[in-house]
Amino acid sequence: MARIIVKLDIKGSNVVKGIHLEGIRPVGTPEQLAEKYYKDKADEIIYLDVVASLYGRNNLKELVERVSNNIFIPLTVGGGIRSLDDIHMLLRAGADKVAVNTWLIEHPEFVSQAVKHFGSQCIVGSVHARRTEKDHWEALYNYGRDVSGKDAVKWAVELVRLGVGELLITSVDQDGTMEGYDCGLIERISTRVKVPVIASGGAGSLAHVREVIYKGYADAVCLSSALHYNHLSVSQIKNFLKKTQ
Amino acid sequence: MDSEKTVFYCSRCINSNQRPGLTFDEQGVCDACQYSDLKEKVIDWNEREKELVSLLDKYRSRDGSFDVIVPSSGGKDSCFVAHQLKHKYNMHPLAVTWAPAIYTDIGWQNLQSFRHAGFDTVLCLPDGKVYAKLARLGFELMGDPFWPWHYGQRAFPLSMAVKFKIPLIIYGEMTRVEYGGGKALWYKPNETYEDLKNYFHMNTKGVDSMVEEGLKYGLIDNGDLSSIDLYRLPPLEEAGKLGTEVHWFSYYKKWIPQENYYYASTNCRFKPNPKRSEGTYSKYASLDDKIDGLHFYMQYIKFGFGRCTSEASQEVRSGHINREEAVALANKYDGEFPQEHFKECLEYMGITEEEFRNVVDKFRPPHLWEKIDGQWHLKTRLK
Repeated sequence: MARIIVKLDIKGSNVVKGIHLEGIRPVGTPEQLAEKYYKDKADEIIYLDVVASLYGRNNLKELVERVSNNIFIPLTVGGGIRSLDDIHMLLRAGADKVAVNTWLIEHPEFVSQAVKHFGSQCIVGSVHARRTEKDHWEALYNYGRDVSGKDAVKWAVELVRLGVGELLITSVDQDGTMEGYDCGLIERISTRVKVPVIASGGAGSLAHVREVIYKGYADAVCLSSALHYNHLSVSQIKNFLKKTQ
Repeated sequence: MDSEKTVFYCSRCINSNQRPGLTFDEQGVCDACQYSDLKEKVIDWNEREKELVSLLDKYRSRDGSFDVIVPSSGGKDSCFVAHQLKHKYNMHPLAVTWAPAIYTDIGWQNLQSFRHAGFDTVLCLPDGKVYAKLARLGFELMGDPFWPWHYGQRAFPLSMAVKFKIPLIIYGEMTRVEYGGGKALWYKPNETYEDLKNYFHMNTKGVDSMVEEGLKYGLIDNGDLSSIDLYRLPPLEEAGKLGTEVHWFSYYKKWIPQENYYYASTNCRFKPNPKRSEGTYSKYASLDDKIDGLHFYMQYIKFGFGRCTSEASQEVRSGHINREEAVALANKYDGEFPQEHFKECLEYMGITEEEFRNVVDKFRPPHLWEKIDGQWHLKTRLK
């Protein structure tokens, strides 16, 4: 069964949630929400520092240390990762994987350096994709603020070629809307790569989750708003997927 | 006078003392921050809502006819105001839009989304050639190509109020109160027609002072004059006879721009900019005009602080970011040159790049700027 992953966007001491990667409305604390989702049997948790690249900082280390003492499911951490030291620090603090977006846009060679040091299994390529026309998406960075000029699908494929072990694909158009994933985007990428693809952005109903798995061929589904605002629960999703397999 | 030339910043947000009309207390806290304390701790928003309901009860139509004018751009704030008035307070709003100089794709798209969310809008598309001439005059005479928009978005809703016989007009926020500019309007829900005329035209003749200069230089000709009438406030007698009242929603509702974004996104399918706006980090504010970038750039030239400082200061006051983060953002984005639409704006105004640069340098106050090795630098940096 596809993994159910919960994404917690972090700013400072809060979990925040935006729409179309804009807005930093607080929805809870990272510790409380991680525990809630762990207890509800989430398969994995992603912590993403959404302002790290914006402020040129990354300071999730202490949070990761605290949380990894209580949460015993894989933890992926991202936001502002720019060096092997950053990755090393986060893995030592308790992260199992790291997700990188902005830094890779300008330094794609960093992928092979990171993979060589830490192994592809813990390097997740994160792509923020915005639809520009019917079957084309552009890749954004700096948490959806800047346009890279790269075709998002081609960029995702390239990241896999460079060695990432997994892809986290976020639809900027659908993010926070709870109107469904961009299944076209996910399908385009998942049918072109051999690594697991995590679909992110837009989940609002059980049907959305099933759709992105069976039509988008997502290997894992990532949810934020639908869970933080209690429209769905992890256990509800898992029961549904079991019944409808 | 000398103290005005010493640049300093609010100790809580990053508002600059160069902002016209901004005042500070003894702790160096600007009046916008002081007002945000009132918003947070003092103002009884339940009481304010009662005042709003009482106002609306007075004007609500019984036959479903339009009973309130909402000056609108189709942006997050107008979506919030119009939607609340219609759905929470059972009013029958008529939105009135004064077109920007050059519509952005996202601005036009959002205006359509607003319409299809269930709102009537009267859209004024003034003669583009005249608008462009006024933009050029605004830029050359006052260092701001936005002046035709400033005039029009104040005048046109009032003209529509008179034409449609709708006395109540509700704007979004009172900018001097929310973003800084003195305490005179802190406790006022509305302005009279006289207030509007006096402040807005600032002892000038409004658009006519620009037109005079334009006629002198041969930039404006007689054929343009009918369009110019759209930029003028309606005669006092007509507005007075109708009993026109101009209120601000921000008096009645705790104004938080980011929350307006969430509201507009959820209720009117408002979409943010596909990427951050030039000169700042945000995607949700002021998206509809390609000349926006120049407007904010000239703010940076004339006052030494740009769009990012204004927005980050607001977000500090709203509690989304802290001062340190605001400083980091302002140092990163303030004064960013608006490259994306630059050529189009030059063509629009009918000036060359050299003419543009000459005008820009004409507006650099010497107490703010110095030239080092051929490059202009602000003398005082934000810390």
